[in-house]
Amino acid sequence: MRYLPLVLTLFAISVVTDVAAAPLGRREVLPNAMRLLVAERPAIPIVVVRLFVRAGSAYDPSDTPGLANLTAELLTRGTARRTGPQLDQAIEFVGGSLEATASRDGVTVSLNVLKKDLELGLDLLAEVILTPTFPEDELKRKVAEIQASLRRSEENPEVVAGREMTKLLYPNHPYGHPVPGTIESVGQLTREQVVGFHRRHYRPDMAVVAVVGDVTVDAIRQGLGRRFAGWTAPAEAPVQIPPAPENPPVEQRTIKRDLTQATVLLGRPGVRQVHPDYFRLIVANYILGGGSASQLYTRVREERGFAYFVHSNLSPGRYGASYIVSLQTRLDAVDEAVRLVKEEMVSLGKGSVPAGALDLAKSFLIGSLPLRLDTSGKVADFLINIEENGLGLDYPDRFRTEVAKVTAADVERVSARYLAPATFSSVIVRK
Amino acid sequence: MRPWPLVPALILAVFTATAGSMPAEPERGVTEATLDNGLRVLVLEDHRSPIVSIQVWYRVGSRNERPGATGLAHFLEHMMFKGTPTHGKGEFARLVEQNGGTDNAFTSHDVTSYYASIAADKADMVLRLEADRMRSLLLDPKEIDSERQVVMEERRTRTEDDPDGLLSEEMLSLAFKAHPYRWPIIGWMEDIRRINPPELRAFYDLYYTPNNALLVVVGAVKAPALLQRVKELFGPIPRGPNPPPVTAVEPPQIDQRRLLVKKTDAQLPIVYITWHVPNYTSPDAAALDLLSTILSEGRASRLYRKLVYEQRVALNAGGDYSYFSHDPNVFWMYATPLPGQAPEALEQALLAEIERVKAEPVPEEELARAKNQIEASFVWRQDSVHARGSTLARFELIGSWRLMDRFLPMIRAVTAADLQRVARTYFPADRKNVATLVPAESSPPPSR
Repeated sequence: MRYLPLVLTLFAISVVTDVAAAPLGRREVLPNAMRLLVAERPAIPIVVVRLFVRAGSAYDPSDTPGLANLTAELLTRGTARRTGPQLDQAIEFVGGSLEATASRDGVTVSLNVLKKDLELGLDLLAEVILTPTFPEDELKRKVAEIQASLRRSEENPEVVAGREMTKLLYPNHPYGHPVPGTIESVGQLTREQVVGFHRRHYRPDMAVVAVVGDVTVDAIRQGLGRRFAGWTAPAEAPVQIPPAPENPPVEQRTIKRDLTQATVLLGRPGVRQVHPDYFRLIVANYILGGGSASQLYTRVREERGFAYFVHSNLSPGRYGASYIVSLQTRLDAVDEAVRLVKEEMVSLGKGSVPAGALDLAKSFLIGSLPLRLDTSGKVADFLINIEENGLGLDYPDRFRTEVAKVTAADVERVSARYLAPATFSSVIVRK
Repeated sequence: MRPWPLVPALILAVFTATAGSMPAEPERGVTEATLDNGLRVLVLEDHRSPIVSIQVWYRVGSRNERPGATGLAHFLEHMMFKGTPTHGKGEFARLVEQNGGTDNAFTSHDVTSYYASIAADKADMVLRLEADRMRSLLLDPKEIDSERQVVMEERRTRTEDDPDGLLSEEMLSLAFKAHPYRWPIIGWMEDIRRINPPELRAFYDLYYTPNNALLVVVGAVKAPALLQRVKELFGPIPRGPNPPPVTAVEPPQIDQRRLLVKKTDAQLPIVYITWHVPNYTSPDAAALDLLSTILSEGRASRLYRKLVYEQRVALNAGGDYSYFSHDPNVFWMYATPLPGQAPEALEQALLAEIERVKAEPVPEEELARAKNQIEASFVWRQDSVHARGSTLARFELIGSWRLMDRFLPMIRAVTAADLQRVARTYFPADRKNVATLVPAESSPPPSR
């Protein structure tokens, strides 16, 4: 099979558009300042609800990495009305799911239910957001689980390399530490800290709810309004996160692992979705290492057989963005594979965009938009992305227009600026 | 394809009824046809989005290989992207992307599947490309050698350097003695290194024929017009030989088998336990499917609740059953211990849950929950045209897409007594396979 990397999905969120003439969704602001986005998809009797709160690992106090993640993980482990196992049983009895996960920017609580069970689902959703109890024994369990997962992730060279690269790209910035924290830092976290983090950061003015499926705007506004009316923002101002550094020092790191293959990451800061170069860079990126017609795929994989996996990716967040090229290859091919990658970067920056590559990249990015909105979950993620990054509900149209405008000269210019090999740090995990 | 569930070997291997999911009600409006050359075609209109999923399934996988040439089916899957006289190497992917589509493929024990999602008005282009590569692959020896390196890199990623991948490969070789499920889908490294162009050509000629393929199209298309185009494009391809049947039958297991892998750079142990079980052809298959759901679907499932939550011995634990497996396969249990917990203790904890199913009837509420989970997963599967298509294909490949109608009624009919009987029948304490991986301090295995 041709490897479709995980990272593509991150990118996918940023490039979606409307699938039909009808608007993608409706936006409203509830009286408590919580933003609501609804997309009606009545054909199948299911409902996806994603409640996003700006309370991800970027908000971890610097001395407690992992606090946001632990808080998120504990939301479903006990509320004023139900214990963790009772919550599990209630949602799973109706074949649904309720999960809370933290990322850098936020926490997403995801509810998947059949339409007939929506009332129960919303009850549970409101409970875990508003009245989690963070029981001490559940905290101990979760800490042990996170620590074991962190330890196990040391087996995965992509994760090991990714963590190191993140550290290099975001020095002295909250994006620099792993979302789950470290084995040591998680072990220090206390219930008081979790309760305090929840009180401070879980506030309606920092929350977005996206609802997609067999619902109407009126019904869902009422259903959420009733349950979340009492949720009000604390008087203190929300915490502000500084933007990530634009020019972190370029560094080279090698991490020793006893594996048969080497994992190579080359990375540097990228640009956010609101940056004027964003559309140009995603086009340049697609040409470099986006798909299976890309330069890296063609030269490193197809022509030389050096790698099964070679890819480049721009991943924008709310406070910063990274641009990363990654590949895995046999130990004796590392130098040559890296040389090829850099050669392609330089070549794009000198304006030698291969014939047809620009058109292909643009037609793919524009033409594949409907595919990136083909399930209810993808639509919900998209709605949250455009709301949180201030892109506006007209973003799909703008995306199409802006990508169409990108010229060969634009690709040359952004490549020279963002793909210059000397500006990339490298992390290699190898024997 | 990614992301992987927990037991990697199974993912490339077989779709499971519980981990995936299927439409709640039988699909209405499927247009079906068998062309004169034997090609099976299923078309389902779905106009919610202006897109289409096009899937070509060949009834060939690693089960059709022989020792010494393992990995042929998967290698050939890679070569399917390397060109025909009409469309040069890489052209398939280039054309699909240029038209805003995505495509990929996977190989399992039983089948090789190629799938594309694209704007519905580009369906014709994908059909043309698929018809072209069904019979006209170049299989250029130079390209074969270059792709060989790529497949070897894939094996390093998935198996050599991945503890789960490595252990599941070892487990299947332990559990099967006679049947081809004993070798890995990706093939042994030495076979990948050796496989030659004539072998790939012969394999292609034998299995890539209209009479050995299934074409499924789901999306915003008009079924009659689409079927007409399918006839025009695929109709001229001549019928091929009938592929030889796979005659290997795994003898009943009479012993207990066990292996231990010490892996450098692994951080935590892994424990797998398997038993031989029947597939969809057995009246017990629905009960086995439910049992796997009861053991491992969600946080209220038995293995999570007991091993992860109550006893705090495991980081994760679960089970897996392959309802759709072409030949009888194994039922899996797996777990990773928390640091400080011995794998032996975890093995005992997994086995205790099997013994509990044998000894006590599953309470009604738990049974109802598992049935609800399977039914709901049917509904969720309708949300995506790709999932609707692959569900149709899975049932068609075991006989007919119409079997979908019978699946949920069979699940609903399973009783607590059935579960107990099935557990007693298929999970004997003295005929199981146990594979354990533990972290090793040093001395890596000989480089492959």
